[in-house]
Amino acid sequence: MESLRQVLDLLAVFVIPAIIIGFPLYGLFRRVPVYEEFVSGAREGFQVAVNIIPYLVAILFAVGMFRASGAMDFMVEGLRPILTPLGVPPEVIPMAITRPLTGSGSAGLLLDLIGRYGEDSLIVKIAATMYGSSETTFYVVAVYFGAINIRKTRHAVPAGLIADASAAIMSVYVVKWLLG
Amino acid sequence: MLNYIWAGLIALSFLFALVNDVRDLGRDTYRNGTALPVTLAIPSGYDPSARRLAVTVRADSAAWSAHFGKPVAGGALAGELIQAGGGRELRFAKDVSLPEPLATARSMTSERDNDLRGPAAFTASTSDTLLEAAVTLAPVRFVKLVAITRAALDLAKTAVTLALGLVGVIALWLGMLRIAEKSGLINIIVRVAEPVFRPLFPEIPKGHPALGLIILNLSANVLGLGNAATPMGIKAMESLQELNPRKDTATNSMVMLLAMNTASVQVVPPVLLVALMGLQINRLFFPILICTALSLVVGILAARWLAKFRGYRDSDPMRAPAGAVEG
Repeated sequence: MESLRQVLDLLAVFVIPAIIIGFPLYGLFRRVPVYEEFVSGAREGFQVAVNIIPYLVAILFAVGMFRASGAMDFMVEGLRPILTPLGVPPEVIPMAITRPLTGSGSAGLLLDLIGRYGEDSLIVKIAATMYGSSETTFYVVAVYFGAINIRKTRHAVPAGLIADASAAIMSVYVVKWLLG
Repeated sequence: MLNYIWAGLIALSFLFALVNDVRDLGRDTYRNGTALPVTLAIPSGYDPSARRLAVTVRADSAAWSAHFGKPVAGGALAGELIQAGGGRELRFAKDVSLPEPLATARSMTSERDNDLRGPAAFTASTSDTLLEAAVTLAPVRFVKLVAITRAALDLAKTAVTLALGLVGVIALWLGMLRIAEKSGLINIIVRVAEPVFRPLFPEIPKGHPALGLIILNLSANVLGLGNAATPMGIKAMESLQELNPRKDTATNSMVMLLAMNTASVQVVPPVLLVALMGLQINRLFFPILICTALSLVVGILAARWLAKFRGYRDSDPMRAPAGAVEG
């Protein structure tokens, strides 16, 4: 397992250089005017980032207000009686709620839990697995759909949240099963 | 759906902020109008006529806890006594770390210079250098309402910084992907991976580059290359958008790609998690892998299953010819 990780880490180091060197070289080999094509592709970068702005403002400000209002505490209190009998430690509930909403916020929560319980506690292991096994759904929606100006997201958010919820629930049981 | 979630977040934050603030008023959390007892240590041999006098506020945990009616940490806090008008004013040093609820009171009272101050009345002097005093601080009300307003304005600014910060990386990868498209690399990837991925994206015509970009995006995710994965995902979305007859509505393929991205299929744990967890990350490798793989399956199934619901089926842009349904 240790060596598998080392191989993967090494691979991750080599992939990006391999792409940014390999793509232009292959292009050159296929007689593509690589510099001209690169520039005309990269030109879009600014437009894409600008397209994302309104979507990101909408999501980040609403999520930021929600976190600042102290609503999280109420939600934790509301979910505690439902989740505690199912074996979910109440300390990890904020992580499960925060993860799909904000990346930096959930990293802060994890740091907070590490400070309080230590890296080798079951609570931190569960919270870290929750953090590592899902993405900030609302941010992903804003960036990916914002870039192409999709406003009607249809079932994207429910599907993303179902995936997040399943990752959070499974984190609890898988960590308890493998490391508990 | 997002309309309701978004409005819900805003409405709930207002509601909860209000509930919190009314509760604070009821409990008088900040003891508005009641003077805070402090012990001031003054350096010996001070000049009584000096306009500014550096003092140390000896915060007595027991006295402050009794004052606020809940446990408050004590300690020695730097401050200044300032001759102002008829009396003296105590000012806590700007960067001193105050215990709660005083830290919140400071952030509320003077946003600009961020210090906590109030007129001090001297009650007794224990010795030449120790004074007992009571400080009246400015009243603190509606903390959470101010906090949500501040958060809204701050994060609106953050969003722009964040988006503009992506310009360089997105430009680099869009340039690279353009070369890959023109040189036929994407087509090679499409040909290799089509049999496996086609069932997930049945709307994409055979040989279309969208599938190749999707595969690049997912592989970058698997390897934990967040920097490259996002621009590749954006490019894949652009490619799917070419097939979309209604440009403001997501197609089933877009939702599928998004669900697969939010499930964050990754074999290499995110850099931030490695930094936070240190060596413990090695033990979490398999739990994370199992959870993320299972949530990917759940995400895919959810995207497929939800697409069959009547409302979502009717809003599918690929179903009705362009313009037939008013979007």
